[in-house]
Amino acid sequence: MFLFANTTIYIGLAVAIYSLLIITLGISTKNQRLINSGKGGMIALFVCAAMAMLSLFYLLATSQFQYEYVTDYTSSELPIIYKLTALWAGNAGSLLLWTFFLTLYSIMIAFSRKMKGNPMVPYISAILLANAVFFFFILGFVAKPFVLLDTIPIEGKGLNPMLQNPGMIIHPVTLYLGYVGLAVPFAFAMSALILKNVDDFWIKMTRRWTIIAWLFLSLGNIFGGQWAYVELGWGGYWAWDPVENASFMPWLTATAFLHSVMIQERKNMLKIWNISLIIVSYALTLFGTFLVRSGVLTSVHAFANSNLGLYFLIFMGVAVILALYVLMSRYNMLKRSAGEFQSFVSKESSFLINNLLLVGAAFAVFWGTIFPLVSEAVRGTKVTVGLPFFNKVEAPILLSMMFVMAVCPMLAWQRSTIKNLRKNFLIPSILAVAGMVLMIVLGIQKAWAVIGYGVIILLLITHFLEFYRGVKARRKMTKEAPITALYRLMIRNRRRYGGYIVHLGIAFITMGIIGSQNYDLETMKTVSLGQSIELKDYRINYDRLDQKKEGINDIVYADVTVFRDGKKLGTFQPEKVFYGNWEQPSSEVAIISSVKEDLYIVLSAWEDDGKATFVVKVNPMMNWLWFGSFMIVIGALFAVWNGKYGNVTPRYTGVRKEVS
Amino acid sequence: MKNKIYLGLLIIAFIFQGSFFRVEAKEFDYKSAEFKAVASQFACTCGCGQDHYECDPNTCSLTTEFKKDLVGMMKKGWDKDKIREYYVNIYGEEILTAPEKSGFSLTAWAIPFAVLGVAATALFFIIRKWVKRKGKVELITDYQNTEDEVEGEILSSMIDEERKKYL
Repeated sequence: MFLFANTTIYIGLAVAIYSLLIITLGISTKNQRLINSGKGGMIALFVCAAMAMLSLFYLLATSQFQYEYVTDYTSSELPIIYKLTALWAGNAGSLLLWTFFLTLYSIMIAFSRKMKGNPMVPYISAILLANAVFFFFILGFVAKPFVLLDTIPIEGKGLNPMLQNPGMIIHPVTLYLGYVGLAVPFAFAMSALILKNVDDFWIKMTRRWTIIAWLFLSLGNIFGGQWAYVELGWGGYWAWDPVENASFMPWLTATAFLHSVMIQERKNMLKIWNISLIIVSYALTLFGTFLVRSGVLTSVHAFANSNLGLYFLIFMGVAVILALYVLMSRYNMLKRSAGEFQSFVSKESSFLINNLLLVGAAFAVFWGTIFPLVSEAVRGTKVTVGLPFFNKVEAPILLSMMFVMAVCPMLAWQRSTIKNLRKNFLIPSILAVAGMVLMIVLGIQKAWAVIGYGVIILLLITHFLEFYRGVKARRKMTKEAPITALYRLMIRNRRRYGGYIVHLGIAFITMGIIGSQNYDLETMKTVSLGQSIELKDYRINYDRLDQKKEGINDIVYADVTVFRDGKKLGTFQPEKVFYGNWEQPSSEVAIISSVKEDLYIVLSAWEDDGKATFVVKVNPMMNWLWFGSFMIVIGALFAVWNGKYGNVTPRYTGVRKEVS
Repeated sequence: MKNKIYLGLLIIAFIFQGSFFRVEAKEFDYKSAEFKAVASQFACTCGCGQDHYECDPNTCSLTTEFKKDLVGMMKKGWDKDKIREYYVNIYGEEILTAPEKSGFSLTAWAIPFAVLGVAATALFFIIRKWVKRKGKVELITDYQNTEDEVEGEILSSMIDEERKKYL
């Protein structure tokens, strides 16, 4: 097994190098046979990555502790699902997963029906193969997944209990699918530049792949937040940790690209900017990995510190320099086709402001993340840049972004006149201001909350009007029933209405964030058996403290009965788990969820006489956040779905070459 | 008489001793908003990556002592700025969860907005340049409102659908 597993990696490296060279040679000599050989190599590469994955799955599932990775991340009593998911618990395994996804995406593109006969294929393949060479090199020489130990331990070290959660099964997978996914638009962009062709086909394909990567990045962040909320016992979901920032930055720049590409599509403008956004998004995925794996910054995401990060930094540097070289060499071609704007107030302008704010937000995150290093380099003091900084800096930028999001759908392309603005915005603005006044009257007086919710009211109204006017216009011509008209309107304009669903999802998430950040309540109390804790409308009766054993773990739990306004909601069991093979205990919280708020109960400590200390938290509007996340996924899927109407990828019309 | 007064005071003290004790031993709420304002300013150095408000005293002995010291200072009437100043004087800026808004650290706060400001100004001039260029070349067509646009899109998609049906 040892030989087989390692062979998959080294043969993979050899095949990746061969395929890259042969495809490059095929491109330069215009020899289709060489290209075909390289494409065959890509299948072999995928098989190698898949075999390596299967080998590691097998070793983990059968607890082969002679392997360092199996010993480090599993133990024999671990449930089979977590034995398998331990594959992405450490450096080597997670990079193997990354490599697997990369080879999977590569063959999906190289052998895609839409790409058949397309001269971009060899270029895209070569770029993705260059990535594959790097990853197989890392797996072969830096982070090796199949290392044998000198002595075979009887038992493994076990998996970090924090990672034994359904959220953790899926969070890294989605995140890596997002990270790897951004390599695809990058490869498309570079190929288009090399072929001197940035046409409709390029836009459609690149945008589609960016939406897919964006969707997975969104899912990765959402699952991560959900996991933190349920598993970590601190009642929060986002801590602006460097690793979280690392995945948020490419999300912001990819979002910016998805909007600005519409200007390229409509007006044939911003080509340089769009390609730069793709390069930046791709580079940020590598930069994030560098941050996570190098140990230069303190993070709760505990990947072992190694020189792995340095390799990523070097690879990122090389990739960015080459990409910029290609971009500069095509500068005149891209600049030549620049168009014009008709007015300051137009949809085009609002997209540019959207880009300014999104990229500005990404820069602020980047600056905050690296500032400890800057500070240390300049004056020798490594300051901490944590949650208070990011909340203060990002809040105004992202709130402005929400405002642009609210206004943009109602602005006309080309130009919006005063008459147009009045017609579209007078009523929504009046309603938003009325809503803000009502909030103040009702006692919501925190400035951020009032402004934030006011902007969201505006957003909800403008988006409703978009749907309403669309249905009305359709019904005028077709006399369809309203629901039929809405359905047909949406499936015939998937991208537009999918985008609006995503906007609504973002609005719900924002409402959840504003509510939970500004109006949360928390208390920590020590109570004797039979006593109760009161917080807001809740009364929590402490009924019992007991202990149980589950496998090798000891669990201390408390029975608490929760009442709201005197009405019994039920009995719940917050727990503290002590692991047989892990030093740190963890809290299993009790969450009583409703549309309005979550009651979050943590059993913090206890004494011999039965007294127990509880942390009780009321987190308003948490379900709004999760519902918004769900809408984002639905919206993105709706937009990217290959429907019957209006989503046809145009034929490639660019430069023809002899090889494809 | 004097003895009677002393005895009376002793009895009163005896009667109310319970309440004195209760006042003394009254539990401090480490999750109160007042404590959050103070403790969330300081980063815990146990490696948890959290601040002293969030860090769990059951798993971190460092934060237990730190929290007690903070409560002591709060009881002395120190406000959050004074407590912050006290710790910065001892440990330096490293102990804070966010950089100071003075000296070199001010750049952490200012640069994002400065960059945004410069980029916004540049964007303004770029759009102005594009608008001017257009204005000279072409007569401005009448505005196109959203409703017309939606109708246009629907119409073109319906034509497209018909075309697919028959061609």
